[in-house]
Amino acid sequence: MSSSAEIAVERRGANVVAHVSGEVDMTNAAYLREQLLDSMPNDALTLIIDISDCRYLDSAAIEVLFDLSRRLGRRRQELRLVMPPSSPLRRVIELTEVGSAAPVHESLDSALSQ
Amino acid sequence: MRDRASQQSALAALGQQGLAGGELGELLETAAAVAARELEVEQVAILEQTRDRRGMLARAGVGLPDGVLGGVLPLDPSTLAGDLGSASSISARLGDFGTIEAHSRKAEHFTDDDSEFLQGVGNVVGAAAERSGYDELVRDSEAQFRELADTTPALMWMTDAEGDVTFVNRAWLRFTGGSSDVGVTFEQTAHPDDREAAVRRWEEASRRREEFRWEYRLRHAASGGYRWVLEEGTPRFAGGEFVGYVGTATDIHERRAMEEALRESEAGWRDLADTAPAMMWTTDQDGLVTFVNAGWLRFTGTSLEQELGASWQLGVHAEDVDSMLASWEAARGQRRAWEREYRLRSRSGEYRWVVDRGVPRYEGGRFTGYVGTAIDIHERKSMEARLIEVYQREHKIAETLQRSLLPERLPQIEGMELAARYLPGARGAAVGGDWYDVLERPDGRVALVVGDVVGHGLRAAATMGQLRNAFRAYGLVESSASEVVARINRLVMSGVDDVMATVLYLVLDRETGELSFSAAGHPPPLVLAPDGPHFLEGGRSVPIGASDPAVFREATAVLPPGSSLLLYTDGLVERRDEPLDQRLDKLAAVAGAAGEGLDALCERVIETVLGEGDPGDDVALLAVRPLPAASDRISLTLPAEPASLEGLRRRLARFLHATGASETEQYEVMLTICEAAGNAIEHAYGPGDATYEVEVTLTSEELVATVRDSGAWRDRRHEHHGRGLNIIDKLMDDVDVTASEEGTVVIMRRRLSAARAA
Repeated sequence: MSSSAEIAVERRGANVVAHVSGEVDMTNAAYLREQLLDSMPNDALTLIIDISDCRYLDSAAIEVLFDLSRRLGRRRQELRLVMPPSSPLRRVIELTEVGSAAPVHESLDSALSQ
Repeated sequence: MRDRASQQSALAALGQQGLAGGELGELLETAAAVAARELEVEQVAILEQTRDRRGMLARAGVGLPDGVLGGVLPLDPSTLAGDLGSASSISARLGDFGTIEAHSRKAEHFTDDDSEFLQGVGNVVGAAAERSGYDELVRDSEAQFRELADTTPALMWMTDAEGDVTFVNRAWLRFTGGSSDVGVTFEQTAHPDDREAAVRRWEEASRRREEFRWEYRLRHAASGGYRWVLEEGTPRFAGGEFVGYVGTATDIHERRAMEEALRESEAGWRDLADTAPAMMWTTDQDGLVTFVNAGWLRFTGTSLEQELGASWQLGVHAEDVDSMLASWEAARGQRRAWEREYRLRSRSGEYRWVVDRGVPRYEGGRFTGYVGTAIDIHERKSMEARLIEVYQREHKIAETLQRSLLPERLPQIEGMELAARYLPGARGAAVGGDWYDVLERPDGRVALVVGDVVGHGLRAAATMGQLRNAFRAYGLVESSASEVVARINRLVMSGVDDVMATVLYLVLDRETGELSFSAAGHPPPLVLAPDGPHFLEGGRSVPIGASDPAVFREATAVLPPGSSLLLYTDGLVERRDEPLDQRLDKLAAVAGAAGEGLDALCERVIETVLGEGDPGDDVALLAVRPLPAASDRISLTLPAEPASLEGLRRRLARFLHATGASETEQYEVMLTICEAAGNAIEHAYGPGDATYEVEVTLTSEELVATVRDSGAWRDRRHEHHGRGLNIIDKLMDDVDVTASEEGTVVIMRRRLSAARAA
């Protein structure tokens, strides 16, 4: 059985917002990547992944974020993350320097207004 | 990667196909394919034991060489494995039908879970094969019944549950002169003076579904009048449901006439008796036989001399002699009327069932002995035995199916004690559709369900299997209890079958004791708290399948620490002779406060609340109790599969929660341990029985986590493996990796800000 994460995608103008909740680990990270890539049409400029409701991300999930950033970059598209300052995941995101591949915003509004 | 959950859902799907009752051959094909897929093996064979029990017929399979399918193999199970060149094999029995074998070219390919899964497949196929044989038997026995019924001289009939006649045999039609009496209730053929009494007695007997026997006058076509008959009826059941009566009428007009004649003249009576076809006898006041008529001698083939005197045992079946003599002596001692069914040796040597009846006779007020008649009821008795056999077979099949659909053993759920019981109903009510289930949700909460499908027998058991799977599916994806029930209601209402079920669905948070539940037409769950028992109120709505749309309510409560929860079906608490409130009070009083082990609790509740004997209806019982979290140490051995990570996280979450560490600390510690575990999984040897160990201890100073595997960490590291190690290094205060021939041990230490003194 793979771990369970839920993905809800919405279009906001030129942005696609993906709310990822639950747990992402090596059993479902690849699936997550496919789902997120599929949700990005050519005419969208930015993929905003909101991980505010994510309880768990492991190194495979973080690898997916780097990979997504590379792939979207080749398509001239941008990746942003939303994570509140209080998130338990904060230090891990910082330690692994995810911000170098995808700017981390404290709120969805902030990510949308960039 | 083989996957227990996938095996279980494949098994459930196969179970439904088995229940649908299609062609057995198709089911065998599916079973072989499913087993090959879920066990990841090259070859699967389904072998049927031949009728002479000296060989195995290959009925279906996957990957078998040409010529094996349809051929007969010797009984020795190692033969096929040798021919296939397999390195490891497992097999399971298919009831009495045969066996299913799975062969792998890899050595030590199979795990205990695999064996269990294959036995599950075996249970489904075995039950279906048995039912397929049974269907033939029922067809046969119905045809045989009608054929037998039409050739027997006895008058026979059948009714449906409402009492309308659905079948009368040729003898009956000849007797009454009707062209077809089907659909006509029997009282219309009774003598006008007997009708009222017959209807009254019929209604009484059929309300209680009892056997009956009485005498009345039946229309007789040949004489244009009425003749006395003895009518006997036996209730019929199919799939546990009462479906009507089967009965016989025996012409006893001579006997009645004899009794009349006897009152007038003994001598005249004997002349008359000898010309009658019935079997007759008289005794003196000491019980010695003084006369048997020609009809008796024709039946037994004995002589009059042999029959006279103390001849009561003569020709009676050895198994029936003692009880027959005892009842005769008892009746005679009190000069009561006597009646007994026993087997009597006939002229041909065959023992045939007769019903023998004697009444005391008096001359001038003085007791002079008995006069009696015996009637051959062999056809009726064998018909009864056949019906009972058919009924019992179906009952057994439904019970087998029921049990194969219930979880054979409850899942091990970390931090929770569980016990469950299922008791099939007694013979009269048969197997029903009660079930229980336990499911660990992805959010860490535990879903509990207890339900009761309306109806009995095979169909209810099949519906139960479908509902159980539906709850597993919706329970996994939907977090609200009432929404799960609502979705299942929609599913049920969109189906073609008339399905109705009561259900209690409850979701429990082990850590906090918070629970929410929805009771769809179901009695309330019982909480056994340290300060006494109470029922959980609210959350009540209509049963599933009653209406659509329907509102399903949900109630919440908090389970006090140290409490147990008891879920049950109404078979436990419903009694015709006692109001439900009283029964619920009794249940609460018996279950009492929490404390004892849950298995003991289940036993005691069943023993005391149900009382003596079998339950009338079937009963499902499920007891759960969250356990206090282990305080300072956990030690786990897990299969080296990525799927084990989710369970590992559940266990760690519980342990870390209890330490009082901050959320960030909990996440970081869990992440580092799981990263190390992820490495162990990737490096463990082979897919089969490889495992890794995780041990976490907490002291006043720090948390120490050890992850041990039997593989060697590779030098070549993918980027994200590097990232995983990087995470471990940065988040832990101290990391020590030791690689050796036996494997790799990672020891990680971290100080927790709020770690309490151990």
